[in-house]
Amino acid sequence: MTSSTTAATGQSVIRTDLRDKLTGQAKYTADLKLPGMLHALVLRSPHPHANILSVDTQAAARLPGVYAIVTPFDVPPGKVAPDLAILDRRVRFVGDEVAAVAAADLDIARQALSLLEVEYQALPFVLEPEDALKPGAIVIHPEGNPGGNLVGGKPLSLERGSVAEGFAQAELVLEEEYFIPVHSATALEPRAALAAWEGDSLTVWKSSRGVHVDRATLAEALGIPPAKVRVVGPYLGAGFGNKDESRLGALAAVLAQRAGRPVRLEYSRQDEFVAGRTRHAARIRIKAGFKRDGSITAIHTIATLNKGAYLASGPGVARRLGQGSLYLYHCANSKYEAYLVYTNRPTGGSYRALGAPQGHFALETLMDRAAEALGIDPLEFRLKNQVRAEGQPGRRTTPPGQNIDSQPLEGGVPFSSNGLDQCLRLGAQAFGWGEPAEQPADPAKKRGRGMSMMIYRGGPGFASAAEVRIDRSGVISLVCGLMDVGEGATTVLAQMAAQGLGLDSRDIRLIFADSATTPNAPITAGSTATFSTGTAVVQAATSLRGQLLELAADGLEAPVDNLELSGGAVYVKGDPARRMSLAEVVRRAASDVLSASASVNPGSPNHIINSFGAHFAQVEVDTGTGQVRVLRYVAAHDSGRILNPRLALNQVEGGISQMLGFALSEELVTDGPTGITLNGSYLEHKCPTILDYPDIQIIFADVVDPIGPLGAKALGEVPAVGVAPAIANAIYDAIGVRFTRLPITPQRVLEALSLQRSAVSPPTTRSNRGGGLIADG
Amino acid sequence: MPDAVPAAATTATIALEVNGRVHRLTVRHHWSLLDVLREQLDLTGAKRGCDRGECGACTVLLASRPVYSCQVLALQVGHRPVVTVEGLGESNILDPVQQAFLDNDGAQCGYCTPGFVMSARALLDDNPHPSDDEIRQALAGNLCRCNAYGRIIQSMRAMRDAAR
Repeated sequence: MTSSTTAATGQSVIRTDLRDKLTGQAKYTADLKLPGMLHALVLRSPHPHANILSVDTQAAARLPGVYAIVTPFDVPPGKVAPDLAILDRRVRFVGDEVAAVAAADLDIARQALSLLEVEYQALPFVLEPEDALKPGAIVIHPEGNPGGNLVGGKPLSLERGSVAEGFAQAELVLEEEYFIPVHSATALEPRAALAAWEGDSLTVWKSSRGVHVDRATLAEALGIPPAKVRVVGPYLGAGFGNKDESRLGALAAVLAQRAGRPVRLEYSRQDEFVAGRTRHAARIRIKAGFKRDGSITAIHTIATLNKGAYLASGPGVARRLGQGSLYLYHCANSKYEAYLVYTNRPTGGSYRALGAPQGHFALETLMDRAAEALGIDPLEFRLKNQVRAEGQPGRRTTPPGQNIDSQPLEGGVPFSSNGLDQCLRLGAQAFGWGEPAEQPADPAKKRGRGMSMMIYRGGPGFASAAEVRIDRSGVISLVCGLMDVGEGATTVLAQMAAQGLGLDSRDIRLIFADSATTPNAPITAGSTATFSTGTAVVQAATSLRGQLLELAADGLEAPVDNLELSGGAVYVKGDPARRMSLAEVVRRAASDVLSASASVNPGSPNHIINSFGAHFAQVEVDTGTGQVRVLRYVAAHDSGRILNPRLALNQVEGGISQMLGFALSEELVTDGPTGITLNGSYLEHKCPTILDYPDIQIIFADVVDPIGPLGAKALGEVPAVGVAPAIANAIYDAIGVRFTRLPITPQRVLEALSLQRSAVSPPTTRSNRGGGLIADG
Repeated sequence: MPDAVPAAATTATIALEVNGRVHRLTVRHHWSLLDVLREQLDLTGAKRGCDRGECGACTVLLASRPVYSCQVLALQVGHRPVVTVEGLGESNILDPVQQAFLDNDGAQCGYCTPGFVMSARALLDDNPHPSDDEIRQALAGNLCRCNAYGRIIQSMRAMRDAAR
């Protein structure tokens, strides 16, 4: 984009904040302390569904050291989300917030909680969508969703072409039901908030994925003008999209106001598991029609998602679950329906890639079955049927000039770039696809190989803004409302600004994530930061560069075209002795600070912007213990141009490893008779450790997106999308069992193997895989 | 610092050596070493990830051995010296472990990082040339939910290989 000699992007510069994180200097919300600060705790519901008739606070309030109590009977009436009050007189899952206290220390707060006397009127409860949809089922949100427990009163229904016609043309139809249970994101940092009032002005430091959105939410919930609220995002101990509600901040604010002192409120680990946000459980029925030549005539997917108690990001999750089946394979006739259903379970929310991993698990295991049934190699099948650069067949429905949704239904719109074919070929080559898995000497251990491919939104998100400015001493700042959620957005955005200004990214001062000092910004979500905010950063940097060159042109008596901006100075091309430092250039300006801002509505009116990937897994199944180990993994990704290779590598490796848990071990279990969630701990909801980490090889396709800033597209969530089906397909190759339910735990493997031994059709060898069983254990 | 103590709580005065400095502190009997480090000494490098010995984010060195500081009562420490992540390296020079993690991007969000650094330090003090398997075993008690394990292993290998 510039003729600068400094190529700040494309280099593995060190994370801007890594030194602070390594030395313990990085402050996360729970590390912050203010003079006179109190500690708060939340009382949680023991009932899955109940009305709160009263809360007697007298005994707790008399306890020395208790400064404030908030209950549903004295809380401000505002809401932090359409169906979520700060505190409600109805609780909707075991662990729902009932009341909160602020005390001089946690020991006192704990004692105070035990002295709160709550009178509950227990209500019937439902944990499964199927029960929640039955006529006469208790309605969980009678005010906001009065018709029943189906969110919005009707399912989402999207169709391109006609699946009825597509199935009429089919020579083979396959159908299967899949089930993916709840699992928890459980970031290592439990949610925390610290609130302090100064007169009628409130400041909240909190675990956040968007300080400006949190500010608006808190102002509305508390009934105060947004101008009186400041939200600051300290370092975030990761979120994976998950830290997306503001009840915590509002509770801390109310308590702090009542106590007249700052209040810090932290979730415990169990709170984080149960009252944080989970991935939505989904039951997915998918049916697809094929021609004998391997082409696909129709795909029809119906998903039922367990919303849990509150809406959170449910509609977005439901929509994204269907995108793979609507768009990953070239198919004229595709239909997607989704039922999003309230239940009395912990709330489903955003978790890395929203519904895409559930949807891809169903789609990519069914397509593996299809390839086998058609006698085509799974890679060949995908190479043949993958969506191509021209997009899907059909007609564009978006009005001319309007940006195309990066999660479209319509056909007739090409991709800005599509490296899926490259991902499939490069990944297969690196993996050695086609060669059989080498079997170990121990006959109890079976190895197998599987693959998957994936499609995901490519980065266009909400309207985004950035400012780049330089002061009279020549210091350049990048000012941005965005929150770095631990993935490294600040590092990459600094590189993008530096590229435009011919600087080293380390020379750029970063001002981020403070609603008082930065321009409005969306939440960091949907893998949009690099693309959407990055587009604004590049524009602002380019504009500031223009201003600097204009000023320098005067001083150096040379035309702008003949100037170079690099290394903190402007000089005349071919005559570098004629130069001015940036500080000297700024001093020629009329004002003390030169500034350039950009606001963008990211996207394209002519193209779909999507990211792609292909994954290849080799597993070993111990048929004695049921243990599945992933031995080797190759992931090829098209995320456009990679701006920081080492950070990108870390993110893709991490996304794959994180989703080993989704595939093999993580399930948040809620007890049917009581509604109590049983395993809110790392010991019982088993997340991958360093012992589980396989040999992972990452390949980035050689794609420079013509629309993405500096050629980049989305990356963050994409690697999470295709992990479970690649592993499930490899397990099938190893032992001949098709799992339709996650996670594939040792117990489920052993049960399936036992079923397989007692079945009539025993063959499990690769040459006769058609005899494989379907296990839904 | 707490400004009101429940009548039932029992306190004791202890001398606690942390990062080479001895602190005289009044602590309640049930307070963990992590409580005291974070709330009384303002050493917030050790993180509270679970408070029940599952995640390793609070790992510190106690008499040169890595421990979950949430599982050690402050009263149990006695004369044994404690080293936290803040005690590694010198004013502007990183400990080789920190330097290797910096050079190899051995972190993402950073919340688990002080714990990993301390476990890694303890391993290398014991065994400067650990095998890949020894590296994994030594770090298996530390969870990273970003799963930056690949880069953490790479950091450890780089350090081991440089020491050869």
